[in-house]
Amino acid sequence: MNHDIDIKEIRKNCFRQSKVKGEFMLQMRVPGGIVAAKHLSMVQHIAETWGNGTFHIGTRQTFSLPGIKYESIDAVNAYIKDYIREIEVDTCGVDMDVNDAGYPTIGARNIVACIGNSHCIKANIDTTALARKLESIIFPSHYHIKISIAGCPNDCAKAHFTDFGIIGVTKTEYDYDRCIGCGKCVEACAHHATRVLSMEQAKVVKDECCCVGCGECVLACPTGAWSRVPTKFYRVMIGGRTGKKSPRMGKMFLNFVTEDVIIGIMKNWEKFSAEVLEHKPVYLHGGHLIDRAGYHKFKEMILDGVTLNPEAMVAQRIFWAETEYRSNINVLPVATK
Amino acid sequence: MSYTVSFERMNELIQSLQSNYKIFAPVRFEKRGRYSDTDMVRYANISCVEEIVHDEKSDFSPKEVVFPVTQAILYFTESEFMESRVHDKKILIFLRSCDIHGIRRLDNMFLRNGNVADFYYKRLREKVKFVLMECHDGWDTCFCVSMGSNETSDYSMAVRFHDDSLEIDVKDEEFEPMFGKEAQSDFTPEFVKQNAITVKIPDIRDKDTLHEVYNLPLWQSYNSRCQSCGACNAVCITCSCFTTTDVVYSENGRMGERRRVWASCQHEDFTAMAGGHRFRTTPGERLRFRALHKVYDYRQRFKTEQMCVGCGRCDDRCPEFISFSAMINRLSEEVDKLNEVKSK
Ligand code: SF4
Ligand code: SF4
Ligand code: SF4
Repeated sequence: MNHDIDIKEIRKNCFRQSKVKGEFMLQMRVPGGIVAAKHLSMVQHIAETWGNGTFHIGTRQTFSLPGIKYESIDAVNAYIKDYIREIEVDTCGVDMDVNDAGYPTIGARNIVACIGNSHCIKANIDTTALARKLESIIFPSHYHIKISIAGCPNDCAKAHFTDFGIIGVTKTEYDYDRCIGCGKCVEACAHHATRVLSMEQAKVVKDECCCVGCGECVLACPTGAWSRVPTKFYRVMIGGRTGKKSPRMGKMFLNFVTEDVIIGIMKNWEKFSAEVLEHKPVYLHGGHLIDRAGYHKFKEMILDGVTLNPEAMVAQRIFWAETEYRSNINVLPVATK
Repeated sequence: MSYTVSFERMNELIQSLQSNYKIFAPVRFEKRGRYSDTDMVRYANISCVEEIVHDEKSDFSPKEVVFPVTQAILYFTESEFMESRVHDKKILIFLRSCDIHGIRRLDNMFLRNGNVADFYYKRLREKVKFVLMECHDGWDTCFCVSMGSNETSDYSMAVRFHDDSLEIDVKDEEFEPMFGKEAQSDFTPEFVKQNAITVKIPDIRDKDTLHEVYNLPLWQSYNSRCQSCGACNAVCITCSCFTTTDVVYSENGRMGERRRVWASCQHEDFTAMAGGHRFRTTPGERLRFRALHKVYDYRQRFKTEQMCVGCGRCDDRCPEFISFSAMINRLSEEVDKLNEVKSK
């Protein structure tokens, strides 16, 4: 069949162009990478009715359904209405109209998260709950943003390689009297983390400066002398990206901030993007936006109106380390835009 | 005499008790557990009934009330020393039947093991009276029935908790007058009669068998599993080992404190001698030591029951899912096989 299709419009609707002419892959949002298993029967139905019988676990934790014909898009969109309502509106509290037209935008990408503390013994935070809260802030925005949430500094969710990487960290407390001086925490810290613990007079001392907030000491301690404080803390990595041109690992922007701070900065993201992009929501990695604005401008705008908790640490400046596949890749003739 | 007492009224009684008593019970420390968003339940001072966690097994045992994790023994200066002091109040502990038996085991270890009673244990222990907390069905790791610690009459008071009241059986004359005005009830504590697990104590009949037991391959199977963290020791009501250390306050090293802290037989350096020699170098050997101490050695020494009271806390707390009760049953099976060969 011959086609005249506006691929960009279709993409906005979360259908991605295929190498097979007239075919598309639907990308369904799964905030935090977790939904009730019953939704797999919906995935199966779409794949077997309109797709090619398979689904891909998207690299950003979407349900990705390839092989959907252009002609089937309306039917698929009508079919996924209930899922969109249940996940986006009922579960995440997203403020949006749900109708037969499918996803309203692809802008803000699916929020990736590791399983978090609902299961993982190492996690410090409930990544699912946070992903769902943030979904209601970033969706449905046409501005592109990628968020990954990791339950602990081991960073299985690759928060180091995304626009906004959020990592659960913990402030630990030491109960001097409960400590039996066994040194298990000292060993654990040296093995897993930054070697900030040491023994002094048969008890433990800590070099607060370089604690990464992983909680390995808590896990190792036989007596419960180390424990996490009940308040949850987060580290925010920014500007990480993959890509052909200049991939790079993100850098630490904030450390030991509370959830209120995370919510506050995410609420400022759209305004920041709009300003940098002159109100044209084009597809550009968050890192490039920060580059365009300059870190100081970014910092000022993203922290606008946000009250930092007393424990918070903020990067004064950032020195990026890009992978340069071609030396001086950022040095271009004046005429180049 | 037994009574029904509302929480409200009980709190008044607790308040008046507090002038003479420190009251300890299992208390919830929210989000202070080993894993994120888990709680820790351990013994602490209480001032009202609502603080008592009565429908969960505590992570740690009440032993820390009479045998604190860290305890100052004496303070020293250049040529003099001063004994540490303890508070002048008496102590009331809310605890379960297995733990009451457990504290009796500690009494043997500290007071009747050798010629001298341990002064530092004794001075706290003498203050203690027990308030038995009734168990309903126990929990899935309990094996108190197998260890004979499911029942006790060794208490001053016993309690059963309801939603906003408790029934209390007062046996101790000291407390009887406090309850004079309360509504009487016919409450007597009931005890768990059956656990989900049954544990058989190994029937080691002679030294010969004991030596064969040392070399059972079963111990080695733990080498790759046990991480020698010592959590099982820390939670155990009957583990009583400690290390004594001097801590100096001053730069010239002549002022300081002698203190003792819990020690763990599962830690690598537990048997370290001057010169570096260690008796038990593998996790399997250390677990063997612990297992035999809990169900054999103590019994040989005191000619009474075994040491373990079957509280199951070591199973609950082990991060590697090593079950002590399963270990003892495996051991018993092996011992039965050895005995069978011998009887032929
Ligand atoms: S692991 Fe716990 S008991 Fe051991 S030295 Fe560290 S804080 Fe003390
Ligand atoms: S060995 Fe385990 S079950 Fe036995 S008393 Fe100790 S902690 Fe409880
Ligand atoms: S048996 Fe379990 S709790 Fe005990 S030392 Fe080994 S790993 Fe730790």
